[in-house]
Amino acid sequence: MNIITRLEQWKEQGVISAEQHAFLAGLSRGEPFSLFLELNILLYAGILTFVAGLGLTVSTWSQQLGDVLVLSVLSMIFGASLWYCFSRAPAWSAAEVPSPGLIFDYVLYLGSLTWSLELTYLETRLHLLSGAWDVYLLATAILFFFLAYRFDNRFVLSLALTSLAGWFGLTISHWPSHQDEAYRQYAILYSVFVVFAGAILQLRGWKTHFFGTYLNIAANVLFWALLSGVFQQDGRAVWFLGLLAACAACLAWGLPRRQFAFVAYAAVYGYVGLSSILIREIHGDTAILSYFVVTGAAMLVVLVLTARRFGREA
Amino acid sequence: MRAYSTSSEEVLFARNLLKDWAGEGFLSDEQYQRMEQETVSELRRTNIFLRLVLFFFTVVIVGAAVGLFFMAFSWNSTSQAVGPLLLIFAAVSYAAAEFAVSRGLYRYGIEEGLAAGSIALLCVGMAAILFTSHGSPKSNGTEFLIPATGVVASLWIWHRFGLFYAFLAAMLFVPWLSGCWTSSHSAQHLIVAAFYAIGLVTVAGLRSRHRFSHLNGEYSIVEALLWFGIYLTFNLQLSSVDLFRQSWGDPRSTAEFSRTFYWATWVMTWCIPSAALSRGLHRKDRFVIAVGGIIAILTLVTNKSYLGWQRHPWDPMLLGVLLIGIALFLHRWLSKGTDGIRHGFTAQRLSGKDKRWMNAASVAFGLASPHSTTVSPQTGGPEVRFGGGDSGGGGATSDF
Repeated sequence: MNIITRLEQWKEQGVISAEQHAFLAGLSRGEPFSLFLELNILLYAGILTFVAGLGLTVSTWSQQLGDVLVLSVLSMIFGASLWYCFSRAPAWSAAEVPSPGLIFDYVLYLGSLTWSLELTYLETRLHLLSGAWDVYLLATAILFFFLAYRFDNRFVLSLALTSLAGWFGLTISHWPSHQDEAYRQYAILYSVFVVFAGAILQLRGWKTHFFGTYLNIAANVLFWALLSGVFQQDGRAVWFLGLLAACAACLAWGLPRRQFAFVAYAAVYGYVGLSSILIREIHGDTAILSYFVVTGAAMLVVLVLTARRFGREA
Repeated sequence: MRAYSTSSEEVLFARNLLKDWAGEGFLSDEQYQRMEQETVSELRRTNIFLRLVLFFFTVVIVGAAVGLFFMAFSWNSTSQAVGPLLLIFAAVSYAAAEFAVSRGLYRYGIEEGLAAGSIALLCVGMAAILFTSHGSPKSNGTEFLIPATGVVASLWIWHRFGLFYAFLAAMLFVPWLSGCWTSSHSAQHLIVAAFYAIGLVTVAGLRSRHRFSHLNGEYSIVEALLWFGIYLTFNLQLSSVDLFRQSWGDPRSTAEFSRTFYWATWVMTWCIPSAALSRGLHRKDRFVIAVGGIIAILTLVTNKSYLGWQRHPWDPMLLGVLLIGIALFLHRWLSKGTDGIRHGFTAQRLSGKDKRWMNAASVAFGLASPHSTTVSPQTGGPEVRFGGGDSGGGGATSDF
């Protein structure tokens, strides 16, 4: 029995009205057929290729065009984007606000990318920031956070989080020694900061739907940092304990809320970390392969039980 | 022939639709609950993340178990027994996949890992038999048996379990197969295109019977893959074979093709997107429309290379303006129709899946895309050209 027949049956049983039946049967047949997703993808691809072309053109022709013209054009695009968004945005609300139009989110994204381009141009050509890229990145991150929260835009939120990560990374790149160790610690600091900031905003009820973005980015950065510590020769025990703690936190968060991306992070990152430690102590190909068979089977059993208990699709 | 009964899959299909409609407010909670009770399936599914992890660990176990067997019995790669043993392992892996399915697993990762493992073991086993018994299979012309086996096995897995990536695997075996039959690159392109075209005609014929059934989506993906494959085969600037060889340090110039063949493929790069787009729009097929759009953009991107024209830095800007213009025009045009609908198309969102896709993409692409669009910080002199794509969002570096 296909969906059309089922809908007919439900209409006859009085479960759905005749109007609902007509509408839902139409949807099942693709009538009307929504091009919403396709139009969004076209706009996104269009903005990206436009900014890429703008960057290429500016970098190739900056001498011929002149700094004033280049900066004027970039400022105009940035200014016009902000004007468009501020003039059309609904009043700010802490809750999720639907976009006022199809193009609205992408105009803001265009403005944000153009801002990045303009600042890069300023520094590269005129050295206005005197190499203080970390200051620029922090300021950019703050601006992007403001725009993301003002206009409820996840694209710009992702840009803000990457800019902040860049600020953390650039700050320690000035340090003369112990780079790996320092990077690792700052990556963890970044993750903790992002989680706490996201949690505070979540508790305050500000754009609670953004919290997932914070957690996913923080979790991946944290696991990469911890794993890189586990892979090193010396002092890996502390990093391994940190990895176990992170896995436990992910499971504790993901399982009750049925957010299985975090369960997957815990399973994969945890397994890789544990295996990297144990395999160093195992000698011989047979023993190593036996290890993978036994531990793989154990993981499979645990995951199947988890899937049965928590992850069954409705 | 199919591992799952039609009724079971139809129930799952209906259940997914109901969930989507309830999420969009097209059904009340009370209606949804009542309808949901009538769409209970005995198949066991899990969510996408656990499915991926289960697939990963299943593949690890299969690979390690086979390796362990050979280690334990000290067989080396030249032994005559390796090939037949690998074939036995392939059969065992396939039987295990069938068993898992018989226990009700559906897109669960485990049966998928076992099925994928069986294809890999079968092909490696075939290669081992041919290499150990004949030295080099090329010398006696039996090399084609390896990709041919891969094609047949992948198609069977796709047909039996409905895994679209098995069909993709079958498509990937085809260029290898054509390479075994002829050394002429033009002929290889034509053979691959012919295989894909036969597949396209077959799928187009088959799917007309499943327009409103659960199989429609499955055939839609397969048809889209075939359109994409045909396009890549004809676009000599993008041909997967060329890219593969170039990555191995064997740059192949398009000059090796005859003028007639070269210009015929150029014509095809314009015809195929038009054909795919019109078929997709005519059938209201999301995947075919998407592929039609992608290959149309690829045609615009590669056209100058085809014609030997000079590329300009502002070309991407023009392309961007074109894409934005098309999107805005379509949106405006559709919105002006009665109830925002024209010729059965609308710009309004009708499915919660669209929003979920966009939310996921905004995080993933938001993180990835600025690395390729914004410019990197450099501390050289003013004449230093910036670029290189190392910067992150807002110019964030790739230090992290």
